[in-house]
Amino acid sequence: MLQCIVVTPEATVLDTEAEFVALPLYDGEIGIGLGHSPLIGRLGYGELRLRSGEETSSYYADGGFVQVADNVVSVLTERCLPITELDAEVAAEQLRSALSRSASGEDQVARRQRSQDQARAQVRLATRAVQR
Amino acid sequence: MAHPRELDKRRKSIRNIRKITRTMELIATARFKKAMDRAAAATPYTQRITQLVTDLTQAGLTVSHPLLEQRETTERAALLLLTANRGLCGGFNGNLIRTGLRQWEKLNETVPACRLEIAGKRGISGFKFRGQQIAQEFTHFEDKPSFAEVDVIANRYLDEYVAGKIDRLDIVYMKFHGVARQQVAVETLLPLGSLAGGSTAVPESPTHESQYEFLPSPESILEEVVPTSFKAKLFKCFLDSAVSEQVARMVAMKAATENASELIKSLSMQYNRARQGRITSELMDLIGGVEALK
Repeated sequence: MLQCIVVTPEATVLDTEAEFVALPLYDGEIGIGLGHSPLIGRLGYGELRLRSGEETSSYYADGGFVQVADNVVSVLTERCLPITELDAEVAAEQLRSALSRSASGEDQVARRQRSQDQARAQVRLATRAVQR
Repeated sequence: MAHPRELDKRRKSIRNIRKITRTMELIATARFKKAMDRAAAATPYTQRITQLVTDLTQAGLTVSHPLLEQRETTERAALLLLTANRGLCGGFNGNLIRTGLRQWEKLNETVPACRLEIAGKRGISGFKFRGQQIAQEFTHFEDKPSFAEVDVIANRYLDEYVAGKIDRLDIVYMKFHGVARQQVAVETLLPLGSLAGGSTAVPESPTHESQYEFLPSPESILEEVVPTSFKAKLFKCFLDSAVSEQVARMVAMKAATENASELIKSLSMQYNRARQGRITSELMDLIGGVEALK
């Protein structure tokens, strides 16, 4: 079994065992199974899935890092919560304001892009949580 | 000798004060436990960040980042002072304000343009009283500072530092060493200096001999780690400050309760003496009257 630990600056959110962990990397999803090679990666905004047996639990991960070694997956993120607790309306509002914001210069454009990505991921996951 | 009724009145009012300080002590104890748990819950994150940095450096990466480097000239600086919103916590606020003021004056001497930011009503009023200009005030931090709140401030500092609006950020706060010891600490948060996450980081032996695969690249990860580590550090300061405040209040209120108990004891003694004295003198009067009638 893989051990999966999720820590945020405020608390250790999750410390469980799972057979398979799917993580949102900065450019797409990565799946971690048993015996995965050591890895340090940058996370994006999206869904963190844990599968053990028939059960799959979904969480939202808000950027950060992942470190995989010796069948331990440690995720460092600023915020992590079950997708059912996401607020679609707040996220939609953030997306709207990010889209309407004007940005000049590389830094500001990058920041706006981040804000958009973050909001889009939240909206997507929140709607999926409702549909289920 | 004082009037027994007056003494009794005083004793009653002190009893009321003792009730209040006792309650405050209990509340502070409860809050302290909660704040302590929060601070303890935050440590795994900093530990893991440190671990990550160690692994990164072991990969043969030289740690260099604009946030880590000392600027050649410090033209603009900011000072952040963390105090409490409430008083009645012993020397907590007083010590912070005194050290903060000293640091502020020192900063003003060396750096041409300085900016002062204060969290906590006590510090704000203390500095206003001393006629200092405060650029930014925060009063929304209570005994449970959340990361989201600190994140906003941290992001602002990072933006300003990158944009060159500040060249240095100092913080004055109450560092929590243990229940019996808290100290006012003056630290420079920006430039970060080292990534090791403070002196607490023991140079661990490499836990994994393995070669890590980096996605996308060590440099890109480092670029992200540095701001994250700054945020974690700032958050730690806020947590420390919150815990220290509760400890200070707990200790101060315990002392106040004990003092009140002592005062009640001595007042009771005085009261009983005065009462007895009056009875005796009344008796003497009676006996005197009887003797005169004979």
